[in-house]
Amino acid sequence: MSNITAYKCKSCGLIMYPYHDRCLNCKKREFEEIEPSNNGKLLTFTIIEQLPWGMDERGRILGVVEFDNGVKALGLIDVEQPKLEMKLKRGWGTVREIGGVKVKGLIFEKA
Amino acid sequence: MRPVFVAGAGMIPFERQDENTLGDILAGAGLAALDDVDLGKHEVGAVYLGNMASGLFNHQVSVASALVDRLALIPAAAERIENGPASGGSAVKNGVLAVASGYYDVVLVVGGEKMRDVIGPKATDIVAAMTHPHAEYIYGLTLPAMAGMFTRLYMEKYGVTREHLAMVAIKNQENGITNPYAHIQMKITMEGILEHPQSHINSPIIADPLHLYDCCPVSDGGAAVVLVSEEIAKTLKKPMVQIAGFGQATDTHTLAEREDPTELKAVRLAAVQAFSRAGLKPKDIDVAELHDAFTILEIAESEQAGFFKMGEGAKAVERGDTRIGGKLPINPSGGLKARGHPVGATGVAQIVDLVWQLRGEAGENQVEGAKNGFSLNFGGFGNNVLAFVLRRIS
Amino acid sequence: MDLEVEAYLRPPEMDMPPYPPKVITLATGGKMVVRQATREDVPTILQAVKPTIEIERDFYDIVGVRVYAELLGWYRHRMRDMFCLIGQIDGYLVGQVNTRAYSEKLDISLHTLAIERGLRIGAHLFAAKMEYSFEYLGREEVLITAESPIGFRRWMIEYELELREGQHELGGAAPYALTRELYYKHKDRLVAGERPVPDKLMEVAEREIKVVSEQDIVEKILGAKRRIKR
Repeated sequence: MSNITAYKCKSCGLIMYPYHDRCLNCKKREFEEIEPSNNGKLLTFTIIEQLPWGMDERGRILGVVEFDNGVKALGLIDVEQPKLEMKLKRGWGTVREIGGVKVKGLIFEKA
Repeated sequence: MRPVFVAGAGMIPFERQDENTLGDILAGAGLAALDDVDLGKHEVGAVYLGNMASGLFNHQVSVASALVDRLALIPAAAERIENGPASGGSAVKNGVLAVASGYYDVVLVVGGEKMRDVIGPKATDIVAAMTHPHAEYIYGLTLPAMAGMFTRLYMEKYGVTREHLAMVAIKNQENGITNPYAHIQMKITMEGILEHPQSHINSPIIADPLHLYDCCPVSDGGAAVVLVSEEIAKTLKKPMVQIAGFGQATDTHTLAEREDPTELKAVRLAAVQAFSRAGLKPKDIDVAELHDAFTILEIAESEQAGFFKMGEGAKAVERGDTRIGGKLPINPSGGLKARGHPVGATGVAQIVDLVWQLRGEAGENQVEGAKNGFSLNFGGFGNNVLAFVLRRIS
Repeated sequence: MDLEVEAYLRPPEMDMPPYPPKVITLATGGKMVVRQATREDVPTILQAVKPTIEIERDFYDIVGVRVYAELLGWYRHRMRDMFCLIGQIDGYLVGQVNTRAYSEKLDISLHTLAIERGLRIGAHLFAAKMEYSFEYLGREEVLITAESPIGFRRWMIEYELELREGQHELGGAAPYALTRELYYKHKDRLVAGERPVPDKLMEVAEREIKVVSEQDIVEKILGAKRRIKR
């Protein structure tokens, strides 16, 4: 796996991420699995200076990205000076080590 | 539904309670409320305990059963209510429903948390456990970080500035100085936290654009109320304060899925419900206790709950409308910012502070002549919110 | 005193250029003067350290008793090449930090003891002693360890300290190092203070190191007694 899976409601077309058992809009239960497109724009972000226990780093940037195909997701923003509405491209890699296990997730870079 | 009244209200100081266990804190708060009123022959029928994470913070579960045991309330019904930082509000709501339905006549609601058993970064991690496990938590998302992302957009959209945020912090810490229950009793100044060229060292970034003094402290503490039916309330030697209405609403788990990430939909809906139940309007409220876990939230909630138009909340702070003595004093207790935020305690503490205000027992922080009060307890990052309207019956 | 024997017992001393005093504006708007303490100041500082040695919270007892011994050792010439910086607000002592030189290239950070809490006094004073080591004494590295979780969090993570082999002089947890490079990398974010200190403030600070009562010190560290009624 090198990407997240998002869901498109087969009934009303609503795009959702993460998974819901029923569509947030029409409550139907059938979805088409979709992948976010390669590019998107940065909707908002923060630079975290105080991370939880086990993450001995500073200045981690997290942001919400809206992909060109409408999927919205949080991810790690690997950009020196992020700006709202900035174009980003999707990547994938280790985002955190939890209990010795490397956990992978979205990492965005400048498009 | 029967009207529900707050007969007893009590709190223990919010601070670091190194010398006390979670059990001591909950029992201390429970006794404070029970000691506040002579219930005569009436017995507590049920106990609702608001607590978010005793299992994680203190390695203790089934804490409601332990509490009735300590308070000799056996065989009263008892349970712990976990609803994130809105656990306290949820416990009050369950207590209200229990009395309103006619099933119980006397209910004790306790809220408490002991967060300082673990060091700061661990507390941050435990609180972050309420984020979405694989869409948020794995990235190192914290609650301040969610608030930071929200703040960035809110500032952009409504012209809220860091000065506005600092004004909220300064006001609430000033209120905290005269609140004997407040965790933080220290006056801060605009120079010290924002204007001085080196103020960023005093108030470093936590999650940009939020700085240290935009965030509430991590506290231990507890609060409790005794709720009774009207029939009993009339027999007690206490001013009658009614929980005139509550509202509760939810929103998406992740921030990313909100259509407008600057809208706190659950706040708006919870407030509308609470006002509608109470038959009151925002303009009828004399004093409000809002959930200022982050300074931005006091401003945003004051707008979304209907006290000010969107974008006007910051201006109200600037004008001094939200100070004690202003048009609508907000957080005369010091709020979460100064009173502190032992997560499960907060929603109950807000009710206790309002009861003291409406009874005229708030000491130096009294809002003169306060008759109607409003509280807002914000769970998750706004994905589970409770609002309450309290009214003094003359 | 047998001065002939005493001469054997007294350690040699390195020359250290003085630390120029500075003033830090705190979150309260209050002004803290940070300046170098002299040997003659030690008995006064010890008055403030003494009540901390019985406070368990945050390992004040361990830090307090060690600071007491270090300052006494320096005062009576049994501690080599130590410096002590103090913080004063309106003349009142609010904290001390001390460090010992191991060589002209390496300093060993000893302790940070804050009496006033909630104002980042400890963080400001710790930064000041690092400033002294790197900017005025020209050290390449300062060895650091922590005895309390607060110290651990502040120093290790805030300054991105590097783990070192061997032991720290205090004989506790693993030693970490702040290098010259890391110091300058984080300086703007962590090191506050303005020079020169206005005459009036300096005059108040130098006139007398005031120390609040023992009970006040305990209350400042533990919080005023607001116990649960039982």
